[in-house]
Amino acid sequence: MSHITQPLEYVGRPARRVDALGKVTGQAKYIADYRVPGMLHAHCLRSTMPHARIARLDTTPALQVPGVRAVITSEDFVNHGLYGFPVRDKYMLAWQKVRYVGEAIATVAADTPQAALAGAQAIVCELEPLPTLFDARRALDPDAPQVGPDRNDGQHPNLKGDHMLVRKGDAETELANCPIVLDRRYFTDWQEHAYIEPEGVLAMPTPEGGVVVYAPNQSPFINQGNLAMVLGLPANLVRVIQPTVGGSFGGKDDIIYESSAQAARLALITGRPVRMVFSREESLVASYKRDAMHMDIRLGADRDGTLRACWFRGILDSGAYASETPFTAWRASIHAMGAYRYNACDVDVYCVYTNNGYAGAFRGFGNPEVCFAVEQTVDELAEMLGMDPIDLRLKNCLRLGDETAHGQKLNESVGLIECINTVRRISDWDRRRAEYSRQTSTEKRRGIGVAIMYHGMSLGAEGADHAGATISVLPDYSVDLTSGLTDYGTGSRTVYVLIAAEELGVNPDRVHIQRPDTNTAIDSGPTVASRSTVLGGNAMRAAARNLRQTLDLAAADLLRCDPQQLVRAGEAYVGPDEEAVAWEKIVDHAREMGLILSAHGKWEAPKIVWDHHHGRGTPYMAYVYGAQVAEVEVDLRTGNTQVLHIWAVHDIGKVIFPQGAYGQLYGGITQGLGYALTEQITYPEGYIQETNFESYLIPTSVDVPEITAQFIESAYSYGPYGAKNIAEPSLVPTAPAIANAIAHATGRRVRELPMNLERVLLGHDLQPPFSRKPVEAALKIPPRSMPQTAPRVYA
Amino acid sequence: MPMFDYVRAKSVAEAVELLADTQCVSRPLAGGTDVLVQVRHTPPTFQRLVDVSRIPEMKIIERQGDEICVGAAVTYTEIIESALLRETATCLVEASRLVGGPAIANAGTLGGNVANGAACADGVPPLVCLDALAHVRNSAGARAVPVADLLSGPHETMLQRGDLITHFTFPVMPDGARSTFIKLGRRNAQAISRLNVAAAGALSSEGRVIFARVVPGSALPRLRRFVEVENMLIGERPSEALFETAGAEASRAMVAVTGRRWSTEYKEIALQGLVARALRQVFTVEN
Repeated sequence: MSHITQPLEYVGRPARRVDALGKVTGQAKYIADYRVPGMLHAHCLRSTMPHARIARLDTTPALQVPGVRAVITSEDFVNHGLYGFPVRDKYMLAWQKVRYVGEAIATVAADTPQAALAGAQAIVCELEPLPTLFDARRALDPDAPQVGPDRNDGQHPNLKGDHMLVRKGDAETELANCPIVLDRRYFTDWQEHAYIEPEGVLAMPTPEGGVVVYAPNQSPFINQGNLAMVLGLPANLVRVIQPTVGGSFGGKDDIIYESSAQAARLALITGRPVRMVFSREESLVASYKRDAMHMDIRLGADRDGTLRACWFRGILDSGAYASETPFTAWRASIHAMGAYRYNACDVDVYCVYTNNGYAGAFRGFGNPEVCFAVEQTVDELAEMLGMDPIDLRLKNCLRLGDETAHGQKLNESVGLIECINTVRRISDWDRRRAEYSRQTSTEKRRGIGVAIMYHGMSLGAEGADHAGATISVLPDYSVDLTSGLTDYGTGSRTVYVLIAAEELGVNPDRVHIQRPDTNTAIDSGPTVASRSTVLGGNAMRAAARNLRQTLDLAAADLLRCDPQQLVRAGEAYVGPDEEAVAWEKIVDHAREMGLILSAHGKWEAPKIVWDHHHGRGTPYMAYVYGAQVAEVEVDLRTGNTQVLHIWAVHDIGKVIFPQGAYGQLYGGITQGLGYALTEQITYPEGYIQETNFESYLIPTSVDVPEITAQFIESAYSYGPYGAKNIAEPSLVPTAPAIANAIAHATGRRVRELPMNLERVLLGHDLQPPFSRKPVEAALKIPPRSMPQTAPRVYA
Repeated sequence: MPMFDYVRAKSVAEAVELLADTQCVSRPLAGGTDVLVQVRHTPPTFQRLVDVSRIPEMKIIERQGDEICVGAAVTYTEIIESALLRETATCLVEASRLVGGPAIANAGTLGGNVANGAACADGVPPLVCLDALAHVRNSAGARAVPVADLLSGPHETMLQRGDLITHFTFPVMPDGARSTFIKLGRRNAQAISRLNVAAAGALSSEGRVIFARVVPGSALPRLRRFVEVENMLIGERPSEALFETAGAEASRAMVAVTGRRWSTEYKEIALQGLVARALRQVFTVEN
């Protein structure tokens, strides 16, 4: 119903976040705040070995502990609780084997958290060490210890899914004919999501024999499907409700589904509500991380700076289980060559099993890793050619009408050139670059560096990509929305409210949005891949337009005119007699007419064609683009790096909720800053060393530099009002921009993340002696039950 | 959370009496920024915490003749806000600004920092640099011990059960003396020092070094003045070369004690730079 053409009233204008007040006043309730009568507390027994056979597991001593009500193991699930997507390789509780330190083996429910812990400690669990694998680069060797499940397709069992590839022309020959070739090796380390709310779930048995689970999911519908499968229940007896979520960044997938299944089974056995809440230490040990990635990259160019070929090999260490990482590997392969034109391109990414914890989805999903490699290599190329790094990028970057290395024609919404030119101007790039190139101090030097990126929107060729929404008018004339997609703190609930208000022509204060609930919302796929604004936004727009159509009909009937003759004055409807009729009156009339004032909307992304065997096709419906410039000061005596300023310009299409979009950008840059400099997870011999925020160092408010941000609104015709997305892309170019600034300041490249004190000063990292104590303390394991001798190490 | 008793003492005498109680193992509680973190993971070795954080006698900051007296329950924030300490103990004020973050600075105390005995403590190098005495009371009486002599190793002190540090005193530095503190952490707040340096010094009217103190933290298992570095400064005219030589000597002295550890490759370079920088700040005459 776009017959009434008016400027946008709410979309793109300042608005208050719908969840802001509840969060700042402490009224928002998280799982750890939930208390229900008769509630039991659950605690997991977790693996103390990186790879072992479960030789004996006796839970009966736990049942002798006062207050313990039930104990479960993999035997309590259908098919031992086997689950996982896209690779079904994990159990809700370990079966026969454990593959990482911290893997859940058994879960105890008890009257108090103390009794649950005592119960877990009383379980007799004997682990027999198996050969371990910690070096991902050796994972596919013929004699590497087998960590992954058996495969019958001839592939190495330590390969997760298929190896991912992109092919254009003959890159080897093209490189051989390039006058300039760079061959570089990069490494990016594990990263922890560090959501403010650690994992927590609450499961309640229902009188019908089913279960209601409150959980901060990546997708309540995937959780529901898993629960029905492993509990052996029909889906209608499993309801999953999303409470307020304290951040996710991709981290509340498998680990939440597992905890949900454990709590749900315990609730069904005991007939009582069961809550499980992780401590920060348990969260760090048990949860999945961003993968570590080993990368080799070769770039070939002409002497005038024209890029000709890219060759890339990546090994993605995703630890003991696949989780979402085969998809991460795919996204990494698509973005490995960066946002540039090439004559030839050859990309292979292998996602492998090791016994280093495990990796899963994390904001950026493979792109921050590969962007760190390609954007530094491009910078080095500029240095070799004596070209300005921005000039070299402008010469080669993707423009409207170009074809990507995958064979995708970019027909619309390509704002990269504008991003680069804008960031160059607002950062005063040319002056600073020249000034900092003349420094002679041996104490501290400044540098300025740039990185650009593109990022495919939504799921792309990962699978079906659609979302649904519902809208209805309640008896008090408020408007009620549901979406199957979750707001982890991203601002998507506000986006949906603004879109519904815009389409209905009502004040946003009238509009409220429920949190996802499998009984009321429409399955919209997982809330991942920065897809909420475009997928959920389009669905909400369709739903609101459907309801608007009904209300317009009622208004036309009441005002005795044709719907085309209606105009709006604020919320009110005005007909040909020019008298304004309140929106409530129109609602009343619609009800009298017997019309149903609720509607739903669905939106499906344009079809994607990707040939996995030949590495060619259209991987994503479209892309967002961005360029960031970092200014740093490096202490040449200590390696300490201060980031002084970040300028960020991103093409995200039409901005719907400006404060939310800037919030995403500032937050992403902050997370990228931590990824660049301080956030480090290490797994020496499989034992994580960083189990709390005194050793896992996320940036504090005094580490975050001044950020100057701007959006380029290069409209995308399929996006709501031309919108694209921002959540993940904000973080992608930050680390390489900082790396390039460090190189500018010091004249030396740091090719590994994080660029900590040691790497910046010495060029390599130093590792403290490994200790099992952090894990021991995190899991509250009595020291005697820890292995006394180091397990055998392969490598 | 483990269970233990809590009592708030109103005076030093009451605190000493409570700590001497043989029926109940007690430990002083000041800011709680160490002890409450420790009991999350390690079962407490005490049955009762005696809160000394509000004892008026332990909150003083004053000049007593040629000495400065700082109560053991004085918080970092109170140090930062003290005009007297800004004038007489710059290194202590600078260190207090760099401890943890605002919450830690509001709660943490100087006495607690010494009693905790961490090699990476930020509050202790300035005290050693200022030649501070720790005044310790117990039911048998009172004694004064140089702060450096109280420290016996990482998280180990010479304090006995029943001991309470009540206050610190240090002499006012010579005329024209300046002090400084530099901290190197992995981030700008809530960071444990990888290295820190407290330094002080004064020049004669001829421009030669007549007074020098160099105390690196997080460098040795047991904190102390680097007298070997101080001695090589005495009588010299400040120069870039002198600062660098002193920095190199500090690194050499560190490695002589620690041997080559996993972090030595980094710390020996960084400490040289930090010591040289600290001395430059202390001895470079501003125009």
